[in-house]
Amino acid sequence: MLIYDEYHLPTSLEEALALWADAPEGSRLVSGATDILPWARDGRAGDVHLPALIDVTRIGELRGQKFEKGRVRLGANTVYQDFLTNDTLRRALPCMPHCAIWFADDQIRQQASLAGNLVNASPVADGTPPVVALNGEIELARLEDGEIRRRCVPVVDFIEGPGRTRIQPGEIATAVILDAANGYGGAFQKVGQRRSLVISVACCAALVKTDSSGRVFEDVRLALGGVGPGPMRLSAIESAMRGERVSRALIRRVAAGAGDMVASRSRKEYRREVVVNFVRAALEEALANQPDIEVKFQDAGETVDA
Amino acid sequence: MPKMKLEMEVNNRKVVKETDTHKRLIDFLREDLNLTGTKEGCGAGECGTCSVFVDGKLVKSCLMPAAKANGAKIETIEGLAKPGELTPVQKAFHKTGASQCGYCIPGMVMAATACLRENPKAGIEEIKERLGGNICRCTGYTKIFEAVEIARSVVAGEAPAGVLDEDEPLGESYIGHNVRRLDAPSKVTGRLKYAADMKLPDMLQMQVLRSPHAHARIVSIDTSEAEAMDGVACVITADDVPGKDGFGVFVHDQPIMARGKVRHVGEAVAAVAAEDLVTARRALSKIKVEYEVLPGLFDAEEALKPGAPVIHDYAPGNVVKHIPVRKGDVEKGFAEADLILEDDFSTQQVEHAYLEPEAGVAYVDADDVVTVISPSQNITHHRHMLADIIAKPINKVRFIMSPVGGGFGGKEDMIYQGMLALAAMKTHRPVQLNFTREESLIASAKRHPSRVHYRMGLKRDGRITAVEFSMLSDGGAYGMSSEGVMRKAAILSCGPYEIENLKVDTRAVYTNNTPSGAFRTFGGMQAQFATESMMDMAAEALDLDPFEIRRINMMKIGSLTHTQQALKTASLDRVLDAAEKASRWEKGAPKVRGATRQDLDGPDTRKSCTLGARIAAEVSGAEKGQRSGASEKTKDSERVA
Ligand SMILES: Cc1cc2nc3c(=O)[nH]c(=O)nc-3n(C[C@H](O)[C@H](O)[C@H](O)COP(=O)(O)OP(=O)(O)OC[C@H]3O[C@@H](n4cnc5c(N)ncnc54)[C@H](O)[C@@H]3O)c2cc1C
Ligand code: FES
Ligand code: FES
Repeated sequence: MLIYDEYHLPTSLEEALALWADAPEGSRLVSGATDILPWARDGRAGDVHLPALIDVTRIGELRGQKFEKGRVRLGANTVYQDFLTNDTLRRALPCMPHCAIWFADDQIRQQASLAGNLVNASPVADGTPPVVALNGEIELARLEDGEIRRRCVPVVDFIEGPGRTRIQPGEIATAVILDAANGYGGAFQKVGQRRSLVISVACCAALVKTDSSGRVFEDVRLALGGVGPGPMRLSAIESAMRGERVSRALIRRVAAGAGDMVASRSRKEYRREVVVNFVRAALEEALANQPDIEVKFQDAGETVDA
Repeated sequence: MPKMKLEMEVNNRKVVKETDTHKRLIDFLREDLNLTGTKEGCGAGECGTCSVFVDGKLVKSCLMPAAKANGAKIETIEGLAKPGELTPVQKAFHKTGASQCGYCIPGMVMAATACLRENPKAGIEEIKERLGGNICRCTGYTKIFEAVEIARSVVAGEAPAGVLDEDEPLGESYIGHNVRRLDAPSKVTGRLKYAADMKLPDMLQMQVLRSPHAHARIVSIDTSEAEAMDGVACVITADDVPGKDGFGVFVHDQPIMARGKVRHVGEAVAAVAAEDLVTARRALSKIKVEYEVLPGLFDAEEALKPGAPVIHDYAPGNVVKHIPVRKGDVEKGFAEADLILEDDFSTQQVEHAYLEPEAGVAYVDADDVVTVISPSQNITHHRHMLADIIAKPINKVRFIMSPVGGGFGGKEDMIYQGMLALAAMKTHRPVQLNFTREESLIASAKRHPSRVHYRMGLKRDGRITAVEFSMLSDGGAYGMSSEGVMRKAAILSCGPYEIENLKVDTRAVYTNNTPSGAFRTFGGMQAQFATESMMDMAAEALDLDPFEIRRINMMKIGSLTHTQQALKTASLDRVLDAAEKASRWEKGAPKVRGATRQDLDGPDTRKSCTLGARIAAEVSGAEKGQRSGASEKTKDSERVA
């Protein structure tokens, strides 16, 4: 049971930062509350008594999305459902709808923020692999001598381990900034027990762009979640694929190599097998999902074997 | 408790109330506004019984601080239709029989309503996806999906509103006819009151202190600090039991609260009744229990070994019940066999996971009748047991069965009603206890984990000549329904097959695991898993069609059952014919099929789950559609892998 003595709903960033800076020890920020409320239950943190919660969802500045210099700036109040319902975002972040459709359910996605997902830093968060694949940064704001100061931290570095991030006392996440990947094909893979309401055992995000003939990989992005303490970008595989001819053999080869990235301590062999299959399936799906390009596999005649 | 003033528009009415700052939206709706159609199945976002609209978006109200909804427009199940009316979705749920226990139904109706508001033309895959956050344990979803599709066709103007009405009766008989459930309107509107929805004036809230140890002696319990707290009305322990403590469906081996020692993690040790839930929970942390941890027993086989820890003094060998069944001469039967198959089968513990966690209210009326209202599946037995426990004549004990929000056998045990009665007697005030989902999981009985060692002798033509069936079940810390479950497992052991020579033994033993109890099929499922697997393996070994080997051995009119009852009727022949036909079975021994099977994925089979109906609909071009279909397949096979 979560008990708190005060609940603040600031409407401006200044107000929120001031409240946060002065909040009694133990106070927490809250966005969708979909991590915080279930956390304070038996078997996890149990009953928790906090002095105050500061709700960021009414801060106007944290709403909405902006495009600037090939990047998308998602206000920290962007929720997972937005990746399914907002067409501009769907086109610019082609792996996000696939990630969102696997995420919790329609109701929780209305509340669950991407920023909360990143700050919560669960090793099996679904949001981290696609964000990392999109060269994501998290923007953090704090008050210094009455002025708002901001800094950006790449999400790969921001997440240090399970539940640990580089956020500093007094800081509020204000945005997540990602590459605009219009024209890419996106995909997301996740293992769980059922379709909805399931936390990943492991997950994988992919983005692919070929040349206009559909024959050569111009860009490939791959990231894994749930196979180590933090998200993992498969940069070596990506660079090995750039400029190469699109072929099933190549996909199979890189997928086999990806299995070696698994650093989890539990169910390692299982995760290894999953990762090999995920990387292959994610690349194939991302190729298939590329808008307006007919992909030509070099070895088109061959059948795919798992 | 710090308070906060909240203003909302709830079901089109303005509401202004001061309430505890920390309340969740679900608490505010249920406790402050009495809108109990919104249910708490899990409190953790996992079940959907609490779904409500907030500013037009469907959300889980257990995951929303009430303060977050300050100023919002809320719509609950009670607000969907005017009193006395039903929306098309509610009518469709009534029509198809989509509500069973009904506990998930308000949330389901809300999710279905949200789905059709978002997309009045939603296809079945999208409907399934949009209802994915709502769990039902009773219906298997088929009737629910059917209802949403009917409602959709009306909402989308594709079918006349008349399709929502009850079918015209077919002559005089109800048999073979869809009859609407009488209780469905109360469930689809959220008006039916389950035990947790009930409120009595001056009612206290109970919370239970549970054991962190599997097996430990209770050295001392000090409740003084908890009792001294403001707002605490009473604290109870086993010492408060005035009569002969002990309950159970067969053997009365379980005290109302741990007496002298705890036998499983989660066993009740003490309980507090207080003015409100928070005070009751805080009081629990003030109760000091000193334990001396004892060696634990966690495996059924270990329980039978000499020198194993003894869980109950009355049963030094840890056996709850052994049921032997003998028929014919097994030695002779095996000697006649051309083939003897031998194998082991094990099944795991299973939780019932009814959507309604245990809940109850107790009070002592003006005539000193101790009254307990709860979704008990066995009120008469509970009444008799409680009378002995509280040392009252039977006419001074009353049990009222509240609507059961799913039981499946799991609500047969009197695991909390006694505590409620004691607290009501001690305070002369109504007392309510609502389990959390976690508490329900940790404290309620489970399906027996079992191991079966099987030997089957067969003639080359497929006839079974002998069976030796030995089942060992983990009964957990208390007897509960173990005896009955073992009996039923023994009776059903070798399935609906006539076996001349059999030797069946079923045993349940005590361990320090969570108690096992009644669960749908009552031991039959564990036995049938073993028997039917053996039948398939025998078919494979003898090169026979699996239906054929069953026909060769099936019980017929005149057959003697395992317990030697002569059957006057038998229908297995017809069941097998119907199943064979309905499944489009391809004849042959199991080994001739495999990859070349053609009988899967027929028109009336449930399709495997897909994902992204909304995304897939937008992928243009037939070729792309096929491809994304193929990748869904890949996902499924990997998920199995
Ligand atoms: C039933 C269920 C299913 C779920 N399924 C999934 C799933 O499929 N995949 C998945 O990855 N997760 C899942 N989750 C977890 C959760 O929904 C996500 O992690 C979600 O994105 C958290 O976002 P939130 O806005 O609700 O965070 P909150 O609970 O509000 O906050 C989470 C953390 O972030 C901090 N925080 C929030 N906003 C800010 C901010 N602006 N600045 C700084 N700190 C901030 C909070 O203090 C807190 O520590 C599920 C949860 C539930 C209950
Ligand atoms: S989802 Fe809210 S009670 Fe289960
Ligand atoms: S009717 Fe759905 S849980 Fe009982």
